[in-house]
Amino acid sequence: MSKTQYSGVKVKRFSKGFVIAHAVNAISFFALYITALPMYTEWFDWLYPVLGGPEGARLLHRIFAIAFITPTFIWLIMDPKGFLRWGKELVTWKKRDLQFFTEFVKELFGFKFKHVKQTFFNAGEKINSIIQILTAILIIGSGFPMWFPDLFPKAVVQWAYVAHNIGFGLAIAVVVGHIYLSVIHKNSRPGYTGVITGEVPAEWAKDHYTEWYEEEVKKGNFPDLDKDKNKKKGA
Amino acid sequence: MADYIKYVDVTKCDGCRACMVACKNWNDLPAEPEEFQGSVQSHANVTANTWNVLSFIEHEDSKGNLDYLFRHSSCFHCSDAACVKVCPEEAMHYTDFGTVNVDSDKCVGCGYCEQNCPFDVVQLATYKDKNGKEYKKAQKCTMCVDRIEEGMQPACVTTCHTDAMEFGTKEEMIKKAEKRLSEIKDKYPNAMIYNPEGVGGTHTIYVLAEKPSVYGLPEKPKVPTSAVVWKDYAQPIGKMMLGATSMALVGAFVSSKLFNKEGKGHEEDGGGSHE
Ligand code: SF4
Ligand code: SF4
Ligand code: SF4
Repeated sequence: MSKTQYSGVKVKRFSKGFVIAHAVNAISFFALYITALPMYTEWFDWLYPVLGGPEGARLLHRIFAIAFITPTFIWLIMDPKGFLRWGKELVTWKKRDLQFFTEFVKELFGFKFKHVKQTFFNAGEKINSIIQILTAILIIGSGFPMWFPDLFPKAVVQWAYVAHNIGFGLAIAVVVGHIYLSVIHKNSRPGYTGVITGEVPAEWAKDHYTEWYEEEVKKGNFPDLDKDKNKKKGA
Repeated sequence: MADYIKYVDVTKCDGCRACMVACKNWNDLPAEPEEFQGSVQSHANVTANTWNVLSFIEHEDSKGNLDYLFRHSSCFHCSDAACVKVCPEEAMHYTDFGTVNVDSDKCVGCGYCEQNCPFDVVQLATYKDKNGKEYKKAQKCTMCVDRIEEGMQPACVTTCHTDAMEFGTKEEMIKKAEKRLSEIKDKYPNAMIYNPEGVGGTHTIYVLAEKPSVYGLPEKPKVPTSAVVWKDYAQPIGKMMLGATSMALVGAFVSSKLFNKEGKGHEEDGGGSHE
């Protein structure tokens, strides 16, 4: 990802609270994944020396487990408005969300596609969020009985291992897709810098999240790109 | 190699606890002083450093008479052992004699075995390395595999003075148990052979005078369903899913390179596609 042909006009997409929460979430998830691998299967036992032996791996896993719980609160406290919008969008589904997927698959594999108007979060991001919320609940909820087996009935502890496994299996599958889209897939890539700096190119935002963009234009927060550039074909 | 079984006839046991002492002795296990248990029994259950506990049960039989029941308790060496199934390190393994053992070098002290043994047998012992750092290893009765390998019998069996315990091939021991059961049925109508199906049969089989629950044993122990779901389904599917996801990504990556070389995939040509 070198230069882009965007005009250079940037708009603010993510609040500081979101950027921090997202970073903590990403870093702790990745750390949890690495520290868990040797505990998951003996294929990754070579990681033990790197992590300070089994005891070290367990300790790190627990430290990052606590970090993994915090992003929700960070976002909620630092940016309650953004957090609520997220919650609201997650439960709002319209026809355009389904259309989005058809076009998205074409885009993913590099075929011609058209943009379906999306709000702040597109349908793909919504699905991603929902699965991640569910898996986080599964992973965190099952983590406690595994950490404190004495406080729970044996059957709960035993099923916790299953839930933890299923939870992180799903989470990793989703995360891999999520990372692919943001880091490698070129049409989505500006989202990656966006989630670090909070800002994204205005044209990209308009293309990908048209409804949201237009709303912000109406509020006077964002420049109206159509005014400077009227040659656009309708999307 | 043939499967070897420790046969325990509890009706011959007189509760002398010599097997406990022999076990500690042979296996160099440290003493574990315990609080008074409210009975003659020394420890509530086997532990990581006490692999063999004699349980003493005051039992009222069907005629209302008090019966004092004893049981030598240690690892059952299940044929389908939950501890082996869940161990991520292959530290828990089957020996050539069909018994179950821990490979201490491989054990990482994760405790998965401890959480899944249907008999609450295996536990983690805490040790300190030379830097004072603590680490854990699973410990349990080894069936004195080091002795068996030398052609000897387990220490507890050797030491038993009432012949309540014997050690031999599976066929021999099962035959013995069946014979004994028919002898004691009159005296103990509830007597039975304890060699539970749900764990594939065990390598420590008992002739019990009463129902298993009287001895604090599960009536129908089995490999926990959760362990089966976890190890036979969730984990393999998880690994496959990881593989499939990676393949899909590689596919998507390659195909978007092929079809979207000049960034023409985008009708509006607004998407940044510039390497
Ligand atoms: S009794 Fe428990 S520790 Fe012994 S072999 Fe069976 S599952 Fe493993
Ligand atoms: S504690 Fe040791 S023996 Fe038990 S499951 Fe973990 S690695 Fe295996
Ligand atoms: S077989 Fe050996 S390790 Fe097991 S209870 Fe008997 S003496 Fe102890």
